[in-house]
Amino acid sequence: MLPLTITNIKLMIRNRHSTFWALFFPLLLVIVFGLFQIGNFSGATISVINNSDAAASNKLLTELSANKFFVVNTIQTRETGESQLAAGSIEYLLTIPKEFNGTSEKSVSLIYTDKDTQQNEFTLITLSRLLNTESSQNTPQSFIQTTEIPIPESSYFDHVLLGLVGLGIMTNSIISIAVKISNYRNQSVLKRILVTPLPIWKFFAAEVIAHLLLAMVQAIIILSVGILVFGADIKGNPIWLMTIVLLGSLVFLNIGFIMSAWTNSPSAASGMGNAIALPMIFFAGTFFSTTSLPWIMPVIAEAIPLTPMLSALREIGINNSPIQSVLPEIATLGAWVVATSAIAIKVFRFN
Amino acid sequence: MDEAIRVESLTKSYRGFTAVDDISFNVNRGEIFGILGPNGAGKTTTLEILEGIQKPDSGIVDIFNLSIHKNSRQIKSRIGVQLQSSAYYEYLNLLEVLSLLASFYPSSVRSDPKLLLDKVDLVSQSTQRVNTLSGGEKQRFTIAASLINTPEIIILDEPTTGLDPRARRNIWKLIQEIHNAGITVIMTTHYMEEAEELCQRLAIMDKGKLVAVDTPAKLRGTLEYKYSVKIIVDSPLKQEQLNSLHSLDALIEMKSENTYIIKLKHDTKSLDKLLNDIVQDEISLVHLEIAPVTLEDVFLELTGNELQEN
Repeated sequence: MLPLTITNIKLMIRNRHSTFWALFFPLLLVIVFGLFQIGNFSGATISVINNSDAAASNKLLTELSANKFFVVNTIQTRETGESQLAAGSIEYLLTIPKEFNGTSEKSVSLIYTDKDTQQNEFTLITLSRLLNTESSQNTPQSFIQTTEIPIPESSYFDHVLLGLVGLGIMTNSIISIAVKISNYRNQSVLKRILVTPLPIWKFFAAEVIAHLLLAMVQAIIILSVGILVFGADIKGNPIWLMTIVLLGSLVFLNIGFIMSAWTNSPSAASGMGNAIALPMIFFAGTFFSTTSLPWIMPVIAEAIPLTPMLSALREIGINNSPIQSVLPEIATLGAWVVATSAIAIKVFRFN
Repeated sequence: MDEAIRVESLTKSYRGFTAVDDISFNVNRGEIFGILGPNGAGKTTTLEILEGIQKPDSGIVDIFNLSIHKNSRQIKSRIGVQLQSSAYYEYLNLLEVLSLLASFYPSSVRSDPKLLLDKVDLVSQSTQRVNTLSGGEKQRFTIAASLINTPEIIILDEPTTGLDPRARRNIWKLIQEIHNAGITVIMTTHYMEEAEELCQRLAIMDKGKLVAVDTPAKLRGTLEYKYSVKIIVDSPLKQEQLNSLHSLDALIEMKSENTYIIKLKHDTKSLDKLLNDIVQDEISLVHLEIAPVTLEDVFLELTGNELQEN
């Protein structure tokens, strides 16, 4: 089995185009999401609660919106702003009090995190200029009541990054194995193996081991780029993260084997693989929360295998939870492994 | 003679179509046994059952006196198989493919991949990939791959299909060498001359049925006619000329306006008489071809169909 496993790894390395694109697709999404986040560093996302009817407050809002450094949105309640800050979707929460007249000391309040001190200083300076404090000898802080809070526990990017790990593993496992096996069947490679005394389980094991290794490499690359290049804050135990990655990959490889049995050509296998994978990406909440899905959709979302995988990855990766805390998700994935293995064994055909 | 393969009452159907219909034969150790038949005759299905790829609906298949279905792995270790169409891992070179295949067998039976490549004259291409080989080279490689486990029986499914005459002759030579090394060969073909050249015994299959099993000479001997004479004349034969030829106790077929096939029942004496009659009756010949009856004639006689046209 070892020579066949090594051969499979060798084939993946030599089939550079296929392997590159399999790895690059989720990485591309990491870069896209990462760049969206980096884009925010050039300006500051700020939510404003305007409690004043005074002309000065309207003038401040207009000037704030006109300033290219700020991306401004107006909100009604402090709770909304605070939850936005906690989720990492805004960086500053500005509250204009009812009695604001543009000159009084400590006239506005600004809440922000300690994530980027340089940006915070620049924001304070810019804001104080808009408040006409630049001629004053006082520091901006004298005019702005500031509150610095710790960096939120997780950002949207952290959330998406772990979603992208799941997405990459799932698409690569399902589609690459379905297309590969379908190709092997069409070219009679499987038949050639079948006439040797190699036990069939060894053939499957060698394929699965090679793909699990690729899944680990893929997860490491995605997480490394997310953490090192785009500053994601993933602090969970890497061994537990990899355990979930391997368990999820095993489910999706089995689905790939099943797809390959149900299709007669590599292109059909690819099409069917995509048809299975793409809806799962959205239903499992890879990019967005699925709690607001209508009708029976939340039930479907809970039933698909990507959901427990992402849930476990996020619990461990973002909340730094121990593996015991995701035992229900592991049990669900384990059940998926058993079920998909049984179906794959039942339906798989060499001819 | 010691029996290598025994097939009894073998039947296999696919969705109502009977691909192999109650066939029985045996293959002796050390012989080259051919299965001759047109495409769709059931040859490949029969071999795939012997190889353990397919399960029969009914019947007995024993190899080395062991049931293929109960002792599949043991038998697979002792036989070599060349499939009719088979690809190898696209990104491996010849040496790597053979080394990988060797790893599937017990170490005690593994052949040296380099020696095998030398045997089929592909050493210089050992670092090339299979898809870079010519048709003939690829077939030689697939035969080398089937020898990786030092088999006692080698199963070849149409080993020369699609090859040019020179490449075909090279494969024939290789099969003879394998046979000379004491390996039992069972092969399928739809080329009559290949069966004549290589096979010591032949099974003739048509539409899933086995219509005859014997040596090529004995199969030809079953025919009423011994010689086939083809003549092309410059103008159609007159009735008196035809009557004269019929007196030879010959079967005359008019293939086209000026082309006739005369099948002679008896030995060389009737051949002499035919040639004399041609001279005496002043038959003006454009072309004369004399040949003993072939397996093509046997196939035609047994099935009513021409082998090559199928």
